[in-house]
Amino acid sequence: MTDAALKANKAETHEIAIDEIFPHAPGPIWKALTTGALIERWITMPLTGFEAVAGNDFTFQTKPAGNWDGVIHCRVLEAVPNEKLVYSWKGGDASNVGYGAPLDTIVTWTLTPSKSGTRLRLVHSGFVLPRNEGAYRNMGEGWKQIVKSIDTVAAGLNGSEAGAGE
Amino acid sequence: MTQPVTIDAVMRTLADPTRRAVFERVVNSREISVADLTRGSGVTQGAISQHLKSLKHAGLVAERPEGRNVFYRAEPKGLAPLVDWMSHYGVFWSDRFDNLRALLKEIDP
Repeated sequence: MTDAALKANKAETHEIAIDEIFPHAPGPIWKALTTGALIERWITMPLTGFEAVAGNDFTFQTKPAGNWDGVIHCRVLEAVPNEKLVYSWKGGDASNVGYGAPLDTIVTWTLTPSKSGTRLRLVHSGFVLPRNEGAYRNMGEGWKQIVKSIDTVAAGLNGSEAGAGE
Repeated sequence: MTQPVTIDAVMRTLADPTRRAVFERVVNSREISVADLTRGSGVTQGAISQHLKSLKHAGLVAERPEGRNVFYRAEPKGLAPLVDWMSHYGVFWSDRFDNLRALLKEIDP
């Protein structure tokens, strides 16, 4: 990819948003989102160093791929008890394509009281998508790298039940 | 996200080492026939055909009949679910919301 193409990609990012009502007050939800032992239970990844304090760094361990060790590096950017939690979510390696490619994103949780409980909204933003369809069509090195990273991921999937959740 | 379930389907299809080897040979050829794939593979033509059928089902290969032969080529869009992190996390977070709901039921009944 050329520098110009990379810049063009950088300019355009996408986000995932999930918005659901939970039949609980914001308090218990906040607790589940900010207590290390509880986070590990619902996110199903080992977690190291979490504290709901702005500036705090923590990591998740997920399946490695190629030159990437599978560590997701996060930093708390904002923590407003019972209302809002924002952290960065980074990982990947430039030598990977697809799973394990560089990732520089932001996860935002917003809790809003509602009649029947709490509206919990997750926004995971900053995804850079392969813009050029030609990138898929080109049967050159890119494809071979994708197949290589599939080898890594598929081997993990095949071997351990623990990885099945991802 | 148009097809969130395909990541799993694609991964499961490619989890079989022989099938993955077949797929890699298809990827590395512009087009290849079953006979050519069988040659030197160490497995029967019937087995290769079965693997191709699974790969086709997962949207990873496309076929083009010509006379008595069928030629296979990699289907670029089949791997799209794996190509970007966003599809990965679309499924990931949706599963995590389910986990969170179950956990909250337990800690705040």
